[in-house]
Amino acid sequence: MQTEPILEARDLTKHFVAGGAMSRQTVKAVQNVSIKLFPGKVTAVVGESGSGKSTVVRMLARLIEPTSGQMFFKQHNVLEDKGRRTLLSYRGQVQIIFQDPFSSLNPVHRVGYVLQRPLRIHHIANQKRQIQQRVHDLLQQVSLIPAADYAVKYPHQLSGGQRQRVAIARALAVEPKVILADEPVSMLDVSIRLGILNLMAKLRDEQRIAFLYVTHDIASARYFADELLVMYAGHAVEGGDTESLLQDPLHPYTQLLISAVPDPARGLRTAEIKIKGEIPSLTAVGDGCPFADRCPHVLPKCREAMPPATVLPGKRWVRCYLFDGK
Amino acid sequence: MAHISTSDSAQSPDAALKPLLTVRDLSVEYRTKSGRVRAVDHVSFDINAGEVFGLAGESGCGKSTIAHAITRLLKPPAYTEGGDIRFQGRNVLELKDDALRAFRWEHVAIVFQSAMNALNPILTIGDQIVDVIRAHTGMSTRQARARALELLQVVGIDAKRIDSYPHQLSGGMRQRTVIATALALNPELIVMDEPTTALDVVVQKQIIDELQQLKKQFGFSILFITHDLSLLVEISDRIGIMYAGELVEIATARQLFKNPRHPYTQRLMNSFPSIHGAKQEMLGIPGSPPDLIHPPTGCRFHPRCSKVIAGVCREIHPQLIPLDATHAAACHLVNEGLHDAN
Ligand SMILES: Nc1ncnc2c1ncn2[C@@H]1O[C@H](COP(=O)(O)OP(=O)(O)OP(=O)(O)O)[C@@H](O)[C@H]1O
Ligand SMILES: Nc1ncnc2c1ncn2[C@@H]1O[C@H](COP(=O)(O)OP(=O)(O)OP(=O)(O)O)[C@@H](O)[C@H]1O
Ligand SMILES: [Mg+2]
Ligand SMILES: [Mg+2]
Repeated sequence: MQTEPILEARDLTKHFVAGGAMSRQTVKAVQNVSIKLFPGKVTAVVGESGSGKSTVVRMLARLIEPTSGQMFFKQHNVLEDKGRRTLLSYRGQVQIIFQDPFSSLNPVHRVGYVLQRPLRIHHIANQKRQIQQRVHDLLQQVSLIPAADYAVKYPHQLSGGQRQRVAIARALAVEPKVILADEPVSMLDVSIRLGILNLMAKLRDEQRIAFLYVTHDIASARYFADELLVMYAGHAVEGGDTESLLQDPLHPYTQLLISAVPDPARGLRTAEIKIKGEIPSLTAVGDGCPFADRCPHVLPKCREAMPPATVLPGKRWVRCYLFDGK
Repeated sequence: MAHISTSDSAQSPDAALKPLLTVRDLSVEYRTKSGRVRAVDHVSFDINAGEVFGLAGESGCGKSTIAHAITRLLKPPAYTEGGDIRFQGRNVLELKDDALRAFRWEHVAIVFQSAMNALNPILTIGDQIVDVIRAHTGMSTRQARARALELLQVVGIDAKRIDSYPHQLSGGMRQRTVIATALALNPELIVMDEPTTALDVVVQKQIIDELQQLKKQFGFSILFITHDLSLLVEISDRIGIMYAGELVEIATARQLFKNPRHPYTQRLMNSFPSIHGAKQEMLGIPGSPPDLIHPPTGCRFHPRCSKVIAGVCREIHPQLIPLDATHAAACHLVNEGLHDAN
């Protein structure tokens, strides 16, 4: 009967002011994105580089304030409660794995310290022996073996993929309820990547952790995610059951994205994809669909207003006029 | 035979191609308190003019260390323990001062694996590209800015973002800015260490296509490092596969795709999840990456290999042996009869 989302965001919007003093402009990084995360389920977010995925993650982790929108953690409206204690308890339950392992680890601390700190702060373990055992187990879980050797290393002594695994171990340390993983495996080879994804799948099944999994590796989302959300230029344009969405993408952007996935099973070269038009500007005004300029099926009304979400059978929905009213 | 001599084997089929870069028997160690980490062990390969050479292998196997050694960016506790690196015939390991500075930007540019935070946080991306151009050419600020705009366009960044600071850009946009900077001075070799990890497949494909175009136009070579074999076979002319600091197979992209010979390469090729067809159980490669301070005896892959030959693989270290003019592998199965017990 786990039908209540543990973390829910409604109409999250984030606008940034960017550029120099002479060329100030508003970047509409995220526009009206809604997400529900359920215990024991994985929702993957895929989409364009620069489409707002990390910004959504940072809002959900409460590292930045949304411009507008609402967030509920266990039905509790979290944006209304700004107390320090509430924030600390929120962070203990909602962990983030940052996209960039080169800047997210403090260079002056050894790996062991990086993992011990959250254990102490959130009172997961207190005795020295207990803490050491837990650090050891965490390193082992992310294949940093022999664990004792890695515990005494500094981040600069690790390769890119090894740092990424330390960041994953740190998120796991506090036994959170929700993990927001922003490209957690982007620097890992297939083999270690599968190990990490299997570990996350195990935590999802055994500890009922809810995952938000941001990735450019769409094939891994197929294996790991229950639901998929596709973002383009600040908007969530399509969502639904992963397998159904991948086998039958509806939004023209999703179709383009899936056609570009390299697939060794198909031969040496990916199919030629015709990509016309520029990457959208998030600073340009205009209320239409951001994909209109590149879309092969564009209609006049596409340039006027963003289409509403059309709900389809099989937990699918899409924001595109081609399906509006069907 | 010690290590493969690439001048007469594993060479590009077109004998007219001259190697731009030759690496021979390169070994690099990190001297740490717990021991010497041999991150690169007797690695040899060539990169020809106008070619894309791909380097792949498990996390921690020494790929970035090779990139740093070639560009002379290794810092203690990393030491080049042996070997020879030549660029257009010149001894790279002996370059000094001005020659070294020119080598690094004008002849060889590097896109770091940490590209996402390689940018200076207090300068706009436009100013950073302009600075690089101005430091090495006689261009005016105005000309350099026009060139910066052109470069940003090549990597798909909206011209309006030229005055943005790095923290105002997404991970993938920062990666693209670094690629643009590497292209700025028309180098002969671009070393790209995991340059597309933060890019979606559409943008990745656009940038790769653009790079291929520019390569045709300007004739530079690329050393492309990634763990993503499906991307690598698509863009590379030749590929080297590393395991635990050693080069274990080297071949053309087609050979590696059609006929990988080393069991490690075969496992890598088969562990790709696909978005099409029935879902298969994903196993990856059992076991864990080796400890580089105390690497396994004999063939370093033997503890994880399903095809171990009793009395051979654990005992004898296999050499990289040519199979034909462009293909070589370091495996006793492939080299049956060829190894001697040195
Ligand atoms: N602090 C900021 N100030 C101004 N603009 C910002 C800021 N942070 C992000 N942006 C902009 O918001 C947009 C979305 O960025 P975000 O990092 O969320 O993208 P992303 O989908 O994670 O991309 P990637 O896949 O490349 O990591 C980008 O255009 C980015 O430049
Ligand atoms: N400063 C250092 N001190 C000790 N060991 C180091 C240091 N830097 C790197 N290493 C070790 O050297 C080995 C090779 O590192 P390198 O960064 O070259 O790997 P890589 O193949 O690029 O891996 P990745 O794909 O994860 O980036 C790793 O096992 C790493 O732990
Ligand atoms: Mg991001
Ligand atoms: Mg590396």
